[in-house]
Amino acid sequence: MTNPLTEQFSAPLTFNWTLSYRCNFTCSHCYSREEQCDELSTAELKLIVDRLAEHQVPFINFGGGEPLIREDIFVLSDYARQQGLNVSMNSNGWLLDRTAAERIKASGFRSVGISIDSAEARLHDDFRNRPGSFERAVNALDELSAVGVRSTMSAVISRINYQHFHELLDLAREHKVSQVYLHNFKCSGRGFKNRQELDLSPQEWKDFYLEALQVKEETKDLLISFDDPVIASLPGYAEKSLVKGSSCGKLSLHLRPNGDITPCGFIPLVVGNILHDDFEEIWYNSPVLNKMRNKEAKGKCQGCGAYEDCLGGCTARAFATTGDLSEPDPHCWK
Amino acid sequence: MKKLQRNSEIVWRIEKRRQQAVLDRLEAGEESGDEGTVILLISGMMHQLNLLGGMIWNLCDGQRNLDQLVAELQQEFDVDPATLQTDVREFVSDLVERGWLNYDQSTD
Repeated sequence: MTNPLTEQFSAPLTFNWTLSYRCNFTCSHCYSREEQCDELSTAELKLIVDRLAEHQVPFINFGGGEPLIREDIFVLSDYARQQGLNVSMNSNGWLLDRTAAERIKASGFRSVGISIDSAEARLHDDFRNRPGSFERAVNALDELSAVGVRSTMSAVISRINYQHFHELLDLAREHKVSQVYLHNFKCSGRGFKNRQELDLSPQEWKDFYLEALQVKEETKDLLISFDDPVIASLPGYAEKSLVKGSSCGKLSLHLRPNGDITPCGFIPLVVGNILHDDFEEIWYNSPVLNKMRNKEAKGKCQGCGAYEDCLGGCTARAFATTGDLSEPDPHCWK
Repeated sequence: MKKLQRNSEIVWRIEKRRQQAVLDRLEAGEESGDEGTVILLISGMMHQLNLLGGMIWNLCDGQRNLDQLVAELQQEFDVDPATLQTDVREFVSDLVERGWLNYDQSTD
């Protein structure tokens, strides 16, 4: 038995799958709200599942848009489970009532993540541009708990919540959430347009992560997770990740509603189509994916002692703000 | 003798290219090395099994007991049977202790 390695795998471990860009919300930070894309038929979606099973992709995570807007989502999740895939979903919770929760349970979802950006209803509703959305999201957590489905909570860290994440953790406890994801802010879509208003400064990010990591260390009753590679540059940061730097293109890929593959939902570079192209050719030989896997230090990353740990931070943020995958993450405080 | 069964909660995958590379090295008379040919995902952590470990893991599908498993491996590896038996027993024992493998309650 060996320790985790960082070499390339035969396929991603996870496909983050945007079934539709349609959504019943218009959130201020949304990467996809202004995206438009053809959607596939149920039969075509099942063909994609076949491809993923054939390549032994173990996990798919439905996102969006709002995944519950697709009326065939449970037909698809049932089929994916039959093919041996592990299925999860991220939802805003609006459509997740008891009936949906029971269907989720019957379909064998491993977990369902509900997006909640503030423990204060007014702030959440304002951020999500939908009155009543906080109440529906919290209710979704309760319905999942009632039927015995593992729930997680996702919060995108921004100016509205970075000083109040403790309250989000308390809310999670109150509603029997098993894991809280404190996501880094991506400058994509509306997130790019609204970044001046919503994003933190590099120093604020550093201060946030120092405090949040300390809380994570001290918290025993709740899993707290981050997905920001830039934190690897913090002194003393010792958490082992499966790969260094961004996991996109190394551990995960993203599917758009028409079957196009991008490295992640926040990098709008299509590297092929799951239905029309040879997947192994894409996975092993895509110039974009290989560039992301073999980044070269640029700008202030050159000569930085932390580079070998963070590999320049979040590739999506670097690309969104500079157009170059290898430029330093704009959140970097160094 | 009880049959060996993988813990069904564990997500795993054969890394086919790596496995083939290791098999090619063995075929060429080189050392197989400890390169992971099977990955296991357990509680957010990834573990990797080398060629022998991966083959054992793959065979623990509830259809074989330990002796049957060793007999099948013996056909694949040109090694001393007693040594193979000991290695497999130790490996299986470790994984049973971790809860990654179970002995099926049904018997032959």
